Amino acid sequence: MVEPLISTATVGHIFGPYDVTIPSDRAHAYATAVGGEESPDYGDSLAPILIVAAALTKLIEDLGLYAGGLQTIHAGQEVSWSRRVKIGEQVDATGKLAANSIRRGNHFATVAVSYTDSSGAEIGTSSTTIIVSGEVSS
Amino acid sequence: MNTNKASKTVGDQLAGFERQISQERVDAYAEASGDHNPIHLDESYATTTQFGTRIAHGMLSLALVTEMLATSFPNTWHSGGKLKVRFTAPVFPGETVVTYGEITSIAETENGLIATCNIGCKKPDGTDAVAGRATVPLE
Repeated sequence: MVEPLISTATVGHIFGPYDVTIPSDRAHAYATAVGGEESPDYGDSLAPILIVAAALTKLIEDLGLYAGGLQTIHAGQEVSWSRRVKIGEQVDATGKLAANSIRRGNHFATVAVSYTDSSGAEIGTSSTTIIVSGEVSS
Repeated sequence: MNTNKASKTVGDQLAGFERQISQERVDAYAEASGDHNPIHLDESYATTTQFGTRIAHGMLSLALVTEMLATSFPNTWHSGGKLKVRFTAPVFPGETVVTYGEITSIAETENGLIATCNIGCKKPDGTDAVAGRATVPLE
């Protein structure tokens, strides 16, 4: 069994950059998932939380947390956003492992992510804390 | 017109709402986010996990909370909003959750007026699935 990256990565490890551009079909799926009569009208813009979720999916994959036998808990999430993003607009996400420790047999990992537009300007940040229990080698 | 500054005061309730988290919504969220973890989608797999059945993505519950914030602060949430939350309980498909929020303080800062809000999303039994705090510019 290949060791998941979370068991070997050290603080400062860089993830990505990931292309987290959200095309219209995924924006539509998001509206189907969360929408209701009282939902805000985003027009041709995106809910930033969808961009964060897209980056989180890639982080989870790279951390090796989809491996069978691992029990992963998304424990905490921080998000800040500075401007609207249009559907289909290019956004890249780059993560940095901010913490990775073992307490009582559980891994606690925090990844900080910066989101940039096509000009390289930062348009948002996030921080995700994950707890992993189970057969994680270390 | 920016109505945030004039209309918001401490103690205001945000525009919370109920939403049933059907498996169809979970499936759609998997398509949107790209997160096809079988714990959300495959009942036979999910029975082998600590939860014993499928669970909704935590980020789906958080997305509902941000819908509330976008409705309550239509001019500023997406351009200066921040949140910090904990995921405290799983939501199971079929459950109806309720988002909630309240402005707990408004502070004058070098960037203008900033509202701080307690925010979250409750399960049918009243426990929090998501709970935390958001800050939003009011101008």
